[in-house]
Amino acid sequence: MEPTLEELVESLTTSGEPQLDPEKFKQLKKICKSSDEHIKHVYHLLMTQLNQNHAEIRLPAFHIISELFSRSHLFRTLLISNFQEFLELTVETDHDQPLPPPQEVAQKLKHLAIKTIQEWHEKFGEGYKKLSLGYHFLKQNKKVDFQDVRIRTVAERKREEEKQKRLENIYKEKAKRAKREMEEMLEDIQSCLTEMENCFSLLLPDPEDFSLVNHEKDDGDGILMKNNSLKPKSPQGGDDDEQPCCSKDLPQGAAPSTELDPKGEGKVESSLKEPSDESDDDFAPVEESFIREHGLGSRNYTLNIEISTDTKINANEDNRDILNSLIDACKLAKNKYWPAVQSWIQIFTKAGISDDSLRFAIDLKKKLEGVVKKQEEMNIESKTRNTKAAADSDEDDDCFEEVPEKEGYEPHIPDHLRSEYGLDAAPKPTPPARTKRTRSRWRKRKRNDDESDPTCAAATLKAMRDKLSAITPSASSSGEHRSERAKREEELSRAPVVPFGIDLHYWGKDQPTAGKILKFSSQHRFWASNDIEEEVENKEVEAMLKTRYITFPGKFEPVTHKCKTPMANGSLCERQDRIKCPFHGKIIPRDELGVPVNPEDREREAKEKFERQAQEQDWRDPELMREIEQATGEDLGSSRCPKKGQKKKGKKKKYPNLTDLTQNANTSRSRLEKKVFNKGSVKRVISAMNQMDQRRHEKFANQFNYALN
Amino acid sequence: MIGFLWSRLCGLDTPVRLRRVESTRRVLSLELNKDRDVERMHENGINSLDIDPVEGRYMLSGGADGIVVIYDLESSSQTPSYTCKALYKVGKGHPDVHKFSVETVQWYPHDTGLFTSSSFDKTLKVWDTNSLQLAEVFQFDGTVYSHHMSPLAVKHSLIAVGTKNPKVQLCDLKSGSSIHTLQGHRGEVLSVCWSPRYDYILATASADSRVKLWDVRKAAACLITLDQNNGEKSKSSNESANTAHNGRVNGLCFTNDGLHLLSVGTDDRMRLWNSATGENTLVNYGKVCNDSRKSVKFTVSRGCSPEFVFVPYDSTIGLYTIHSGEKISVLRGHYNDVNCCVFQPHFQELYSGSKDCNVLAWIPSVREPLPNEDGEKSRSQVHLHPAFQDAWSSSDEDS
Repeated sequence: MEPTLEELVESLTTSGEPQLDPEKFKQLKKICKSSDEHIKHVYHLLMTQLNQNHAEIRLPAFHIISELFSRSHLFRTLLISNFQEFLELTVETDHDQPLPPPQEVAQKLKHLAIKTIQEWHEKFGEGYKKLSLGYHFLKQNKKVDFQDVRIRTVAERKREEEKQKRLENIYKEKAKRAKREMEEMLEDIQSCLTEMENCFSLLLPDPEDFSLVNHEKDDGDGILMKNNSLKPKSPQGGDDDEQPCCSKDLPQGAAPSTELDPKGEGKVESSLKEPSDESDDDFAPVEESFIREHGLGSRNYTLNIEISTDTKINANEDNRDILNSLIDACKLAKNKYWPAVQSWIQIFTKAGISDDSLRFAIDLKKKLEGVVKKQEEMNIESKTRNTKAAADSDEDDDCFEEVPEKEGYEPHIPDHLRSEYGLDAAPKPTPPARTKRTRSRWRKRKRNDDESDPTCAAATLKAMRDKLSAITPSASSSGEHRSERAKREEELSRAPVVPFGIDLHYWGKDQPTAGKILKFSSQHRFWASNDIEEEVENKEVEAMLKTRYITFPGKFEPVTHKCKTPMANGSLCERQDRIKCPFHGKIIPRDELGVPVNPEDREREAKEKFERQAQEQDWRDPELMREIEQATGEDLGSSRCPKKGQKKKGKKKKYPNLTDLTQNANTSRSRLEKKVFNKGSVKRVISAMNQMDQRRHEKFANQFNYALN
Repeated sequence: MIGFLWSRLCGLDTPVRLRRVESTRRVLSLELNKDRDVERMHENGINSLDIDPVEGRYMLSGGADGIVVIYDLESSSQTPSYTCKALYKVGKGHPDVHKFSVETVQWYPHDTGLFTSSSFDKTLKVWDTNSLQLAEVFQFDGTVYSHHMSPLAVKHSLIAVGTKNPKVQLCDLKSGSSIHTLQGHRGEVLSVCWSPRYDYILATASADSRVKLWDVRKAAACLITLDQNNGEKSKSSNESANTAHNGRVNGLCFTNDGLHLLSVGTDDRMRLWNSATGENTLVNYGKVCNDSRKSVKFTVSRGCSPEFVFVPYDSTIGLYTIHSGEKISVLRGHYNDVNCCVFQPHFQELYSGSKDCNVLAWIPSVREPLPNEDGEKSRSQVHLHPAFQDAWSSSDEDS
């Protein structure tokens, strides 16, 4: 039996497939070829299909049209006579008539239509005036760019342009704001940078400053060196105490370093024969200065300086403030300035501004990054060092923990007494405490322990430390004590912490007044005799005073197991309830496939399933239910019935292969709308509001304002 | 045709008869022809067209972009297919160009040396064609919807102007001033039209759904207000009394003999009135789609035996016989609403302007060669454009 034209067209256009069924289409062509009447008929059929509000119907209809268009002259004349409508339906020339959903298919249709029309124009444009007119109309009026793969109408393009413009404006505005911000913040950043730079130069002088010896230059980042060999270079460094690390010293220290060399050479000659002596006081005045400056007696012998490879910044009193300020500045730079600068750069690049401000911002960013990096490179160690020093300061003799000031210690040494102390005359008064430390460190470096020298401050320090260590073990002298103490500590660690109360006050003792209440026989304050005091024991009060309530909530243990019941979609239930899953009942141990581990559970589950099925099949015939539902209009839950119901649904739908457009409407919003705007609820709300109104009227009935309405 | 020629040869027919028959045939065979194009000059919709009444050779067009263009409809080349060239253009560069949409353009009826254009910029401008200079400007206090000069008057040179103001203005070219107003309408005047039969008879159509006929010599009031119900009170409710349409009336056109007046309105109707008595002839044209807010220019044929009217009908042009109201054909070709059409009486050509920026030429189709023999027939098939041939593939045969 041959299918009719109508059937063919309908089945072809409602298949929902992207390509036409070749077999059916061949049949269609065959019919069309037979006579002009058929072509006219098929044209009308196709136009009705093209008018359907579904892009998935329009697209195959368009396919058929384009096939027939290339074949039949009559079809071409028919279509071209109504070309405007055709354009409206496929290319969306009329903005009041947008292409129907689904969106992707509509876009595809539009794209294809424009491409096809161009082809038609090339092929048939000469013969059909209106076709070329339509082509030019699209090209010139609708501004369809036939070269453009992405077809955009004028409106779309305009919208896009506007959006672009708006964005640009926003960016510009942002860039302006960023500029202003930058100007405001610039000072802060610059000062932060200079601060950090200064800190660095204080902590680590530039390699250029190490002009004395080459090998010193190479590993010049050692902070030890700074403290030892470098500092004495300063011209005032004739005294062996070190200059405090403050900014004004450094340039001074750096500049004279060059002129120091010839002076040093001269000295070397004189001190050639003399073996170096480290003790400070033994030096001749000329050599003394050399030694002060270099820590060496002579230049002729080589001196291996051991520099620990892990360069550490020793946080001491000298540089603590510097370090702190450095760390603060670094934090500021890292957390505040760097992100700000980064965002400015982003804004500038987005806004397309490439003037000085952008360059400036990039420079700033580079600087900040460099500074932060520098800080990180050196400061991490110093930090660990710091913490380490704090942790075991006892073992670290050369470290500079705060030590109580010793007795008889003069914070300031008068110049005339300095030689007594083993110090040279200082041009500037410097805190001797620091002097001692640096000196001790210096000695340490030279492996020359001076602690045995009782005249030295370091010796005193050591003595004090020894004393201290001797005291601490004496507290826990006997082994018996020690074990007891350990036990006690252990118990203490286990003991709970409770708020203080009366029961604790009398812990381990009898409460003498527990539960006793003084009772006066007379209610009067003055007339009653003073001595008659009755004590009444009250059990309740006693119990109250002697007991303590301790709530014991236990510890929260997170649930680690899952319900794991196999669900309809093939996955396992992910709920983590403690005992019972609200959907699947009691939680039982299951394996990865969701099968119960215990055989009895498995059995029970199977039984339940069987029962449920039997029950449903018994009285819930879905078809019957649906019929009843249709008749009564009430939902009996037939849709909840599995399997059969779904099959039925598919049959009910006219074109199962097409995308269901109504499905899109089933959004949370629409569902909510259904609930909110449903008649019953609206009525309820209205009545409630009326009631409220009424109440107010009753309340203010005596006010004419309410009495009126 | 041969028969008519023969009877003319024998002197049986008057020359008019032959002419009428041929021109009627030609009008009926109007089609979009690839032989004729009109140069595309406008960037926006075309509101008005006018062909000069002297030679029928030059056409004016006024667009919504404020531009006025003069086309030459004939070509010096002898080839059948050509493009109508634009001779001059009052474009954006011109110092006196209209600022807003040009609504009406018209040639001076007796000479192509002068033309007028009116625009939404509240002016009516008179131009010297040869120098393309502005000759005169009339300022109004409302946007100008339409203006018209009497096609035959020699005793006066009045331009009737319909503006947003309900008063119809009469401007005199001689004095260069607005000399007269005609009061009576209550809405904006969308269309004005002089009678081609009497010098002083003017028809005006307004948004108050009335059409009035005036004798401009009689200043007091109008001659007739056209009534769609012919005064039968029983049929008319109070609102529709003395109205020509049930919506805005936005198009007027006299027949060539001036005996009848056609009007179109936004109630999608076209009516034919007896211009002498103001009687509604009750010709039923069916629905004539019309939702324009502005005036619509439509035209009638000339020299055919039943006369025809060409009315813009959305994006098409409807062809109706005037007196029977029969819809003969629909001319499809525009892709947006058609605003105006104008008939070229000498060659029975129709030009139409539309919102889609196109001016389309509708040319009578060439008479097909008569099939004498089978061989000739087959040859004519060969002559057909290849695009007209069917292309059923051989693979389709197999199926």
